[in-house]
Amino acid sequence: MRVRDHIGLSFANLWKRKLRTCLTAFGVTIGIGALVSMVSFGKGMQKNVTESFRSLDLFNSLTVFSEDFFTGERFDPDRRPAQPLPSGASRAVLDDAALEKIAALKGVDTVFPDVRIPAIVRFNGKDEFRLVQVIPAKVTSSRMLRFSAGKGYASDEEDSLIISDSLLRQFGVQEPQALLGKKMVISSIGFDFSRLNPANLTAALGGERLPFTTEDTELTIVGVAESQAFAGPIPIQSDVFIPPGVSKRMKKLPFSNIWDLFRAREGRLGYSAINVRLSSPAFVEPVKKEVAGMGLRVFALADQFKEVQKGFLILNMVLAAVGMIAIVVASLGIVNTMVMSILERYSEIGIMKAVGASDRDVRRIFFFESSVIGFIGGVFGFALGWAVSGVINRVVNYFLAKQGVPYIAYFSFPVWLALGAIAFSVAVSLAAGVYPAMRAARVDPVRALRHD
Amino acid sequence: MGNVPILISNLSKVYSTAKVRVAALQDVSLSLEEGVFAAVTGASGSGKSTLLNLLGGLDTPTSGTIEVRGRKISEMSREELALYRRSGVGMIFQSFNLIPGFNALENVALPLMFAGVAKRERRNRAGEVLAQVGLGARIAHRPSELSGGEQQRVAIARALVNRPRVLLADEPTGNLDSRTSREIVTLLAELNRDQGLTVVMVTHEESLAREFAGRGVRLSDGKVQAEERWR
Repeated sequence: MRVRDHIGLSFANLWKRKLRTCLTAFGVTIGIGALVSMVSFGKGMQKNVTESFRSLDLFNSLTVFSEDFFTGERFDPDRRPAQPLPSGASRAVLDDAALEKIAALKGVDTVFPDVRIPAIVRFNGKDEFRLVQVIPAKVTSSRMLRFSAGKGYASDEEDSLIISDSLLRQFGVQEPQALLGKKMVISSIGFDFSRLNPANLTAALGGERLPFTTEDTELTIVGVAESQAFAGPIPIQSDVFIPPGVSKRMKKLPFSNIWDLFRAREGRLGYSAINVRLSSPAFVEPVKKEVAGMGLRVFALADQFKEVQKGFLILNMVLAAVGMIAIVVASLGIVNTMVMSILERYSEIGIMKAVGASDRDVRRIFFFESSVIGFIGGVFGFALGWAVSGVINRVVNYFLAKQGVPYIAYFSFPVWLALGAIAFSVAVSLAAGVYPAMRAARVDPVRALRHD
Repeated sequence: MGNVPILISNLSKVYSTAKVRVAALQDVSLSLEEGVFAAVTGASGSGKSTLLNLLGGLDTPTSGTIEVRGRKISEMSREELALYRRSGVGMIFQSFNLIPGFNALENVALPLMFAGVAKRERRNRAGEVLAQVGLGARIAHRPSELSGGEQQRVAIARALVNRPRVLLADEPTGNLDSRTSREIVTLLAELNRDQGLTVVMVTHEESLAREFAGRGVRLSDGKVQAEERWR
C-alpha cells in the first residue's frame, strides 16, 4: 500500500469521526501546549541569562577579593570555601599597589576598584537611599553599561553622574531624554573631625555626638543607564554611577558596610574588591593563576556560569517532566480512541483482509491514523503553547513594568522547539498506536465477516 | 496441473474451544478442473462455508492440503495468504461485505489500493469492471443507496478487479429475492463461460445451482456426500 493512500485513508477515517478525533487531538494539543510552554520558559530564562552575560562582557570579567575577606560569600552565591593560598604567597591588602600590579598583567584591559558609597539621592523633592558606585569614565563607555538616553561621562573629573532608568521611575520621571543636563543631589556621610576634640570625645564615643556629618554634592545627569534584568554578582550594578574624581572630592567613609572594618589589617583597609576586565575570555585562566599567586582571591563569572548552566538543565528537566504528565494522559486518550475505532470497524477490518490487506497494511492503517492525530495535536499544541506563553509574557511584563523592571521575554521559541514538539507528538502517538495496531492486525477475517 | 486448478486432499478443519471440539470438515478430498462452475450444497452446518473460507485463504486447515493453480495454500504464511487473497482469488459473500462509507467505485478499487496501484489507474480499472457487471452508471453511490442485487454486483466487481482466475461465492443469493438471485447466478455463469473463470459457489438453492452449474458437490456433516456432473 502506498504512503499517499495511507495518509488519505487516515484523514478520511478520522474525518468520519470528527468529534472524537477533535477531542483526542485536543487532548494531545493541551499536552504538547503544556510541554512547549514549559520548555520555552526554561529556554527563555537560559537565553536571557546567557545573552546578558555575553552583551555585558561578563565572560571576560574577574572580581578580585582580599583573601581573608570573610564576607566574601556576599559576592560568591554558591559559597565555595576559599581556596588555600599557594605556598610562599602572603596575604595581601587590596590597595592601589595591588591594583597596579593586576593592571600590568597580560590580557588585562581595565581594572577598577569596587567602591560603593552609601548615600541619599535627592531629586524632584524625593529621597532614595542607594549605594552609589564609583566607575571610571572608560568603563561607562564600554559594553558593560547600556544607555537608554545620553552617554557616559567624558572624564574621571567631571561633575557628572549616570542614573538607572528604574531609579528614574521611582522619582516619577517617565521620559529619560528630558532629564539629561538636570542637576541631582547626592548626600554622603563623612567624618566630622571637629567633634573628635578631647572635650567631645566621651560624648562621641558614647554615641551622643557621633563624629559624622552629611555633605551634599550636586552633579549633572549625563546618562540614563538601562537597568539589569537579572541581579547577580556582576561588576556593574547600581542605580547611580559617579566618576572617581568626584568620589575623591566627596566626603565619605572609607567603607560602605560596617563589616568591612573586620578586613582592616594594621589600620589598612584596602578595597573590598577589584573589578578586572580582560581583553578576551582566553585570559581568564592565566590571569586567575597570576592573581592567586599574589595572595588574592579571584572569582570568575565564567566559572559561575557553568554552575548556572547546570541549574538550567535541572530546571528544564523538571519543567519537561511536568509537561510530560499531560502528554501521558493524552496518549491514553489516543489508545482509547483507537481501540474504540477497532471495535467499531471490526467487520471493515475483516473485509479489508478478505480482499487482500496484509497484517502489515492493517497495522499501518492504524499507525497512520494515530500519528495523524499526533501531528494535528502537535501543530495545534505548539500554537497553543506559543499563544499562552505570549499572553503570560505580556501580563507578567505589564505588572513588572509598573515596578520598574525592564521588559524581559520570559519564553523562547527556537525553530527546533516547533519541529521537536511536532515530531515528539507524532512519536508519542505512534507509541500509543502500537497496541491498537497490533490488535487490529490480529483480527481474524472469518470471525469479523461473520460479525453481522 | 493445467486442467486441475483446485486440488483438495484429506482436508480437515476442527474448531476447538475450551469446552467443545467441532469438526467442521473431515477428510475431504476433491478436485475441480480449470474453468468449471461448481456448486457446493448441503444443509447449514455441513461445512460448506468452512470449505470456501479455506479455499479463499481466509482460514487455515487443521490437516490436509489445498492446492490452487499449483500453489499450496495450506502451507502459506500469513503474508503469502494475504497476497493470495489479493490477486489469486476473488470472494463474494451472502451479506455483500461492502464498506459502508465508500461508494461503489471506492469499494471496487479497494483491493487495488492494497496492491499498490496508483489512484488514477485504480479508478479506471474499477470503473471498467463496474461497467462489465452492468453498474457503469452507479459508481458514485454508496452501498446504502443500492439495491441488494446491485450491492452484490459491486462485490463481484471488487472480487474481479485484480483479475483472479478463481471466484468463490459464499451463498451469494442468500439475501436476495428469487428474481435477483437468478440475475446474479446468471452473471456468475456468464463470467464462467465468457472469461473461463473457475467459479465455486456455495448455496442451499440446489435447483438454481442445477440450472447453471456444471458440477455439484454435496456436503453433509463435514464430509462429501455426493459428487455429480450435471453437464
